[in-house]
Amino acid sequence: MSSRKKTKSDKVRTSLMVAAVLAVLTIVEYFVALAYSGAGVLLLMGLVKAFLVVNFYMHISRLWAPEEGH
Amino acid sequence: MAAMTTRAAQYAVALRNNRMGLWLFFLSELFLFGGLLATRFYLWGDTRPEVDQVVGLIVTIVLLVSSVSMNIAETAMEHGDRRTFSIGLIITAVLGFIFLIGVMIFEWGLFPFIYEGHLKPWGDQYGAVVFGMTGMHAIHVISGLVFIAIVWNLGRKGHFSAEEHWGVEACAIYWHFVDLVWIFFYPAIYLIGTSVGH
Repeated sequence: MSSRKKTKSDKVRTSLMVAAVLAVLTIVEYFVALAYSGAGVLLLMGLVKAFLVVNFYMHISRLWAPEEGH
Repeated sequence: MAAMTTRAAQYAVALRNNRMGLWLFFLSELFLFGGLLATRFYLWGDTRPEVDQVVGLIVTIVLLVSSVSMNIAETAMEHGDRRTFSIGLIITAVLGFIFLIGVMIFEWGLFPFIYEGHLKPWGDQYGAVVFGMTGMHAIHVISGLVFIAIVWNLGRKGHFSAEEHWGVEACAIYWHFVDLVWIFFYPAIYLIGTSVGH
């Protein structure tokens, strides 16, 4: 199913699921930082969160979608 | 009919160009925020200032929730639902304002009768970097709030439709970019490194 054919409730559901994953990762980050002060794991988790935001909220794929309008 | 088809084709071309322009702008912004992150790691190394962890977590969650309401507002306009669009934008603006107030009170200590901040921009490398990073981010939050206000007002006046709403899309993507920057600033300021007392 293409994004154009998705219903409003499908999109809202996806948005909420992405937000839930982001929230869980943020809280995990917090507790990981309590036990481990290094940058590697936290920056890696940041990259995962960034991918979710860029892909689902910022719609980067629309940049190369063929002639996709609104 | 032909005129309508031509107009739709012109809009599609303009939309592609606008999207590319906005992402090129973000690319230029990455140099700015990337430079600030590099400054943090160069000056602080494996240390960080003593900042309020709970406040950091709360403002981060507030910004995250604002991204959801913004996404819902954008989706609503994609489906011509003006009421949800309007409510979503208002909620986003309120949450953005709460984020800003949280940073101003608890990080900058602008209102010492509420909270006595211990970092000063001229104090040491910790204060300078915290104010540099959060200050530049706050400027983007403020410009995002102005952007939201403009788009909300235009929507109220009947601008935008399910077919043509580039302004709404740009505003939403800009707001998510502000969230994206904070995804890296939050651990850099609050979590990474060993806390040094002030």
